Amino acid sequence: MTINKQLSAALSGLAFLIAASASHSQVLFWSTQAKPVEEAQAMRDQVLSGADVAVDYQPNDGGPWLTRLQAELAAGSGSIGVLGALHGDFAAMDTRDLVDLDDLGLEAKSATFNQLARLGTQKMQYIPWMQASYIMAANRKALEHLPSGADINALSYDQLIEWAANVMQATGGAKFGFPAGPKGLKHRFFQGYLYPSYTDGVVRTFASDKAVMAWEKFRELWAVTNPASTGYSFLQEQLLSEEVWIAFDHTSRLANAFNERPNDFVAFPAPAGPEGRGFMPVLAGVAIPRTASDMAAAKKVVAYMLDPETQVKTLRATNFFPVVDVNLPSDLPPAVQAAGDAVAIMSASEDANPGLLPAGLGNKGGDFNRVFVDAFERIVLNGQDIRAVLDDQKKVLSAIMEETGAPCWAPDAPSEGACPVE
Amino acid sequence: MSGDMRLASRYLYGATIALLTIWVLVPLGLLLINTLSSPEAVNAFPKRFWPEFDLGSLRFFAGFDGMIDALFNSIWVAGLTMVLSILIGAPAGYALSRFDFPGKETFRLLVLLTRAFPLPLLALPMAIAFIRLGIDDTIFGLGLVHTMLALPFAVLITFSLFSGIPIELEEAAWTLGCTRFGAFCRVVLPLILPGITASAIFAFVISWNEVFAAAVLTIENRTLTAFLLQNLDTSPLHLKFAGGFILVVPALVFIFAVRKYLFAMWGIANR
Repeated sequence: MTINKQLSAALSGLAFLIAASASHSQVLFWSTQAKPVEEAQAMRDQVLSGADVAVDYQPNDGGPWLTRLQAELAAGSGSIGVLGALHGDFAAMDTRDLVDLDDLGLEAKSATFNQLARLGTQKMQYIPWMQASYIMAANRKALEHLPSGADINALSYDQLIEWAANVMQATGGAKFGFPAGPKGLKHRFFQGYLYPSYTDGVVRTFASDKAVMAWEKFRELWAVTNPASTGYSFLQEQLLSEEVWIAFDHTSRLANAFNERPNDFVAFPAPAGPEGRGFMPVLAGVAIPRTASDMAAAKKVVAYMLDPETQVKTLRATNFFPVVDVNLPSDLPPAVQAAGDAVAIMSASEDANPGLLPAGLGNKGGDFNRVFVDAFERIVLNGQDIRAVLDDQKKVLSAIMEETGAPCWAPDAPSEGACPVE
Repeated sequence: MSGDMRLASRYLYGATIALLTIWVLVPLGLLLINTLSSPEAVNAFPKRFWPEFDLGSLRFFAGFDGMIDALFNSIWVAGLTMVLSILIGAPAGYALSRFDFPGKETFRLLVLLTRAFPLPLLALPMAIAFIRLGIDDTIFGLGLVHTMLALPFAVLITFSLFSGIPIELEEAAWTLGCTRFGAFCRVVLPLILPGITASAIFAFVISWNEVFAAAVLTIENRTLTAFLLQNLDTSPLHLKFAGGFILVVPALVFIFAVRKYLFAMWGIANR
């Protein structure tokens, strides 16, 4: 090839590259959920293929998700049609950037979820899309070590600790697994499980004497926890490799264990403390940014996601449960059945003490989580004095609550104005 | 040197070579074995040392929508990055080594600045500008960003290469009737070709591995890394291995394809 020919080939290649951005008629579904490749594939093939508009489903990490969205909002035009994210992601946004969705006439079965979806305004800023929760899972081999008299569906924290200790004694290794890794959801355990179970609150009771007791209990649990837990983010992996026999995690982060070896694992409710069986939902929603290019098509996609049939398909694809009334078929994947039963037992238990997702924190949600993660690292990993750490962190928490003015949410008693740290 | 010493140093040499080889090959081997294993085998312990040739994981990716497009996008972007960073970087390197101009030292330092700011910080204003300019979601736009990331390496590598070639060689060519450009093409270029290859490999790898800008700046035209990497960390183990394998292989193929130019730089005969 002569230089001239090479040059012209390169130029035509460049022209092709620039022209490759042809406009498209698909609605871009920009999501932070259903990220694992299998779930993304199922969302495309099984869920969104049935919509009457073409949808391009793109799951992302939180960072790129938000940056891209902010860029489109700032530029005033963009390609994102529909947003899919957790309540906390939407709560951190400016509600003026989200289109009011009241005219769609869509809502979740739960009034609480609908209230959360208004993000403090009068109108729905996102539509609740799907929900999940955190549960416990165990290898069947661990069951024989259950403390005598313990009912796996009504465990207390003391029994859980004893159980994990029994397993440790029998196998010579700590087999309780906790998602304390960099991407693990440990903060949710403290906010939605440990604190409600021991203090019947999260914010008000953050530095109470009962909270000191809760952390002491967690230290006991940590003593029988696999120390590699600081690297665990998806306990399904450790359950499958049998590094861990008993685990706490998000239902969708345990799903593969049940789906791959349904006969080897059991799912059961989170343990209870003196103040009941604390647990917390996970809520994801769909919204439309004000820069969506085809508003009508985007609204069609949102409506499609809330259709009962789509909700069941979504459940199969992502292990997230419907937020509207549906008739659940009997042939659901093992993980869905196991998690569904565990959540049902947990919420129906006599001592159930359900918490809500943090609300009204706006973009301080991450800082709020940080308070709990820091407390965990200082108290449990570094062995610092519990009272001193809580008194320290209390100042940070107070500042966050005052700055955002967020009122208390369950199980904290309602407040007028910002939720006080007592 | 005594015989013992010579023997010992030969053993040490051999052991170092073996260690380095193992260092590179063992992770790749594990990646391959686990890619070609069933999910049960991947999670089992002790680990296998021989693949069972289960193609399930690879078959999953073969049916994964958009994979092939993403692979080609990656190749286009990496290729463009390579060409642009050499076209822009090599003249800058030449100028740095051959000419004295005011602000030369500052320029050498400033060129590193593109690496001083984390991409998550730069991505937002860049994305806004790209959307306004209309080069958002194009291979060309992303190629520009990756070129910016690869430029410091291209400039500094070529600078040291040009500095290693005596100006007398060029001067000799001038006296024999070459123009400045002709001398550069006939004398300098062949000598620094291996170095150019090295910085091209750098540019290729930088572009191939970059996730954040790619994830923010492309949507329809995603690169393979942006398309896969973000989703792999939450995927089950056997798919992590298979996905990792898919990400590594094209880069390996590329490096093997250009390796003879690299070896030439280190004085190993070009066969």
